[in-house]
Amino acid sequence: MSTQNRWLIWIFLAPTMVLMGVLLYYPMIGTVVESFYDTSFISPEPRFVGWAVYEKVWNSRQFPQVVWNSVVWTLGVVLLQNLLGFFVAMLLNQGLPAQGMLRALVLLPFVLPGVVTAILWRFMYDPQLGLINSLMIRLGLVEDNAAWLASSDTAMAAVIFVAVWKGFPFSMLIFLAALQSVDRSQLEAATLDGAGPWRRLIDVTLPAIKPVILVNVVLTLILTFNYFDIVWVMTRGGPQNATHIFPTRIFETGFGQFRFGEAAVYGVFSILILAVLAALYVIVQKTADGRRRTA
Amino acid sequence: MKTILLTTAAALGLASAAAAQEVTLQFWDNQQTESGLSEFQQAAVDRFMAENPDITVEVTTIPYPEYQQRLLTAVQGGNAPDIATLDQIWVAAFAQAGAVADLTDFAAGAGLSRDGFFGGAWDSAVVNDRLYGIPFNVDVWQFSFYNQDLLDAAGVAPADLTTFDGLRTAAEALTTDGQFGVGLFGHRGEDTVVVVNSFIFSNGGEVLNAAGECALDEAPAVEAMEYLQDLAQFAPDGILNANSGTMRELFLNGSLAIEFWPALEQPTLQASDINWGFVNGTAGASGTAVGTFGGWNLAVFESSANKEAAQKFIEFMVREDVNGDVVDLIPANVAAAEAFLAENREGPEDILAHLGNAKPRPLSARYLEVAEIQMTLYQDVFSGANVAEAATAACEDIDALN
Amino acid sequence: MTQSPQTRAVLMLAQVMLALFILIPFFWMLSVSLKPATEPFAIPARLWPADPTLENYVTAFRPEFRTYFLNSMIVSGSTVVITVTLALLAAYSFARGTLLILSGLMALVVLAQMFPHSAIIIPIYKLMRAADLLNTYASLIIAYVSVTLPVAIWMLRGFLLKLPISLEEAAAIDGAGPLRIFFGIVVPLARPGIIATAVYVLIVTWQEFLFALSFTSTQDMRTLPVGLNDFIGQYGIRYGELMASSVMVSMPVIALFFFLQRYFVAGLTAGAVKG
Repeated sequence: MSTQNRWLIWIFLAPTMVLMGVLLYYPMIGTVVESFYDTSFISPEPRFVGWAVYEKVWNSRQFPQVVWNSVVWTLGVVLLQNLLGFFVAMLLNQGLPAQGMLRALVLLPFVLPGVVTAILWRFMYDPQLGLINSLMIRLGLVEDNAAWLASSDTAMAAVIFVAVWKGFPFSMLIFLAALQSVDRSQLEAATLDGAGPWRRLIDVTLPAIKPVILVNVVLTLILTFNYFDIVWVMTRGGPQNATHIFPTRIFETGFGQFRFGEAAVYGVFSILILAVLAALYVIVQKTADGRRRTA
Repeated sequence: MKTILLTTAAALGLASAAAAQEVTLQFWDNQQTESGLSEFQQAAVDRFMAENPDITVEVTTIPYPEYQQRLLTAVQGGNAPDIATLDQIWVAAFAQAGAVADLTDFAAGAGLSRDGFFGGAWDSAVVNDRLYGIPFNVDVWQFSFYNQDLLDAAGVAPADLTTFDGLRTAAEALTTDGQFGVGLFGHRGEDTVVVVNSFIFSNGGEVLNAAGECALDEAPAVEAMEYLQDLAQFAPDGILNANSGTMRELFLNGSLAIEFWPALEQPTLQASDINWGFVNGTAGASGTAVGTFGGWNLAVFESSANKEAAQKFIEFMVREDVNGDVVDLIPANVAAAEAFLAENREGPEDILAHLGNAKPRPLSARYLEVAEIQMTLYQDVFSGANVAEAATAACEDIDALN
Repeated sequence: MTQSPQTRAVLMLAQVMLALFILIPFFWMLSVSLKPATEPFAIPARLWPADPTLENYVTAFRPEFRTYFLNSMIVSGSTVVITVTLALLAAYSFARGTLLILSGLMALVVLAQMFPHSAIIIPIYKLMRAADLLNTYASLIIAYVSVTLPVAIWMLRGFLLKLPISLEEAAAIDGAGPLRIFFGIVVPLARPGIIATAVYVLIVTWQEFLFALSFTSTQDMRTLPVGLNDFIGQYGIRYGELMASSVMVSMPVIALFFFLQRYFVAGLTAGAVKG
């Protein structure tokens, strides 16, 4: 845009900047300030304590567990959701007969409110009454009633599975759009050169949709890290904190136990860790690019 | 000049008359989905407005799982209702935060005293000798509801369920292929806390001692938890993510012999095909089954501009002839409770006796933090940890709160 | 591309697996919704109720339910339109502007995506109260627009960066003004990006729960995700009615996507997304 259009830039940006400033940054800065105070519902006079609450949280028994759970949860969901989303997008891009219907069906999990999804699945996972054990017993896969959500060993995997079920349609949709934009002539050229489906995928398709992969991964990373409903309703962070992640911890500390200062500290840590995860991914991606280019 | 004065006077007079008529009270309650109670509650509110034409009451009901968060947001945002029902365990925190009004003088003036209510419920509204709520409804965790047919088949008598040893023997006899002896549950929630508490109380133990220090690592409490850890082998699979609702579904389909519930469960059982009965909890070393109090108090918010009208409304809601119509637990007004139980519940005498013995949860402004540590402890217990060690760790955490 | 019969069989099988993976939970939802309240749950779970009934649907389809549905449509619909419009304007500035300060601002946009909602909700509540907006559609729409804007800007900026700038330059040489270029060239070319962003915003707002719960107090302002919680009590869940409501929530949306999917996928892919 030329210099005379600078005004236009600012006019276009103004509403966004006002909204984000007032409704996101003002509250968030308030939260950061609050994190340096010892404040809770029952002691309404905030007391400045510097880094004391940070130290308390950092040294608490739950903190390392919440960090670890958050990382496992986020990476697990992001990886599986995008892999599944990608393969389903490939599958529904082959011109098979039922393709149109399936493209609509796939969106079903996506439109179901998160709270309902969580209740539905919690019920399906129920050791005695749930459909999953019922089907598995009928199919002879298990003999005993497996308690998926009630064991620290399986609970995280079980909630990740649900998040993937609910989230993969979104990734699929974006991948589908990207796949359709892959240059047909290049694919045909590769076929003529004798490339099989696997080589076509590696050499033509993946490079062509690489920007979309980046968008998808970063987007799902952010959404998943802060996703609250599914874990909260299914396990409330249990059993034995095995599924406690940052959003559930912030909610429990702030609204469940009225400790605002501590909730604020968890909030600040959560932004830092998420920013590190996102930055790491982008850096790895860029480095890999750079290496490929120089190679 | 005269005209102006007259007009002004008339205007002022009209204005004050209008003001007297325009009191609108915001009343928040947690949503009673179980019983279709809201209709009756609305009927009672209508009756109140007919008795007090100058007061309008707007009722907002909020689903239970979100009620605490919603109320806290409103208070912090400076937008609290005039009146709300507060869970017994929240009153101390709301009082200490300065969010709810001191009702001591109002209660004395209105003739409301501890004698007219269940003592435990009344005490839950007292903070530093001042009263911050009027008991609205109560119940007690837990009654042991049993399936008579399953007990008969296993040769177990209901009276067997009333002692620690008897319950264990019965649970073992009642556990067979595809049938579960006892409906223990251990998800992260208050219902887990109150059930385990009642076993601790019944064994002569405490959560906090008189000095406010953690007593969960003392012998009676540790023994009770070790007992439950052992009893859990006769419970359905997956109790670490199961709650009282899960156990109800199993009890209703006939695969669970004993479930732990407050008296509120009775209407559901009455509507079912199950041949059921109940006994009052389980007695340990103390010789008496001691339950844990639950229930709700009515509180007026400090921010309310209409405290007098709000107090009038509370006085109405706990009146003997009203209280029973507006609750689905048990009316906190003892006279109303007697009539309510006689009409709506089996074994009213037993229920009253259990209410009389029941103990409250720790009445501390930091109760919710204590409860979170208790949940962690109880989950450790149910997953097989060394009880004494886990209790010591929990007590360190609880005592570090102060 | 044509597939060999074997490949085709494998792909068809994969389609069936996919359909099962998606549909089994919905089948269960339907099954529970048709179970009479008096029929206990069986062990192991029965696939279909012994005596199916529509009674849960009759109870669930209350006037309140219709209100919740309408509220959700109004709030989500308005949010989609406003967010996408504002995000498009902002994204265009970020994509085409060359000022250094813009990259700083863009970094702030990216950072804002990461704010956890439960950490900022009480200050936002106070703002809404100060503006006297509590319990209005506006409070929800404003909050939803704010929290969806960062991601929407980020997505749209990505799309806009891929548009060939030469078209805009050519139009400028032909004497078209900046607004004319924006509306006449950029917006039509960005359509796939706009659709993708709109879907994202719609999905996020359609199921948002925390703000909807906090900012509305009366029943006539509640949205569906909050309204569905009517069936979740302190001591139990009325599964039958909850599942019946869930089926009723899903159906119209599925129908909508079913009829629009052809247009929708076509719209997403029309030209322009070449990486």
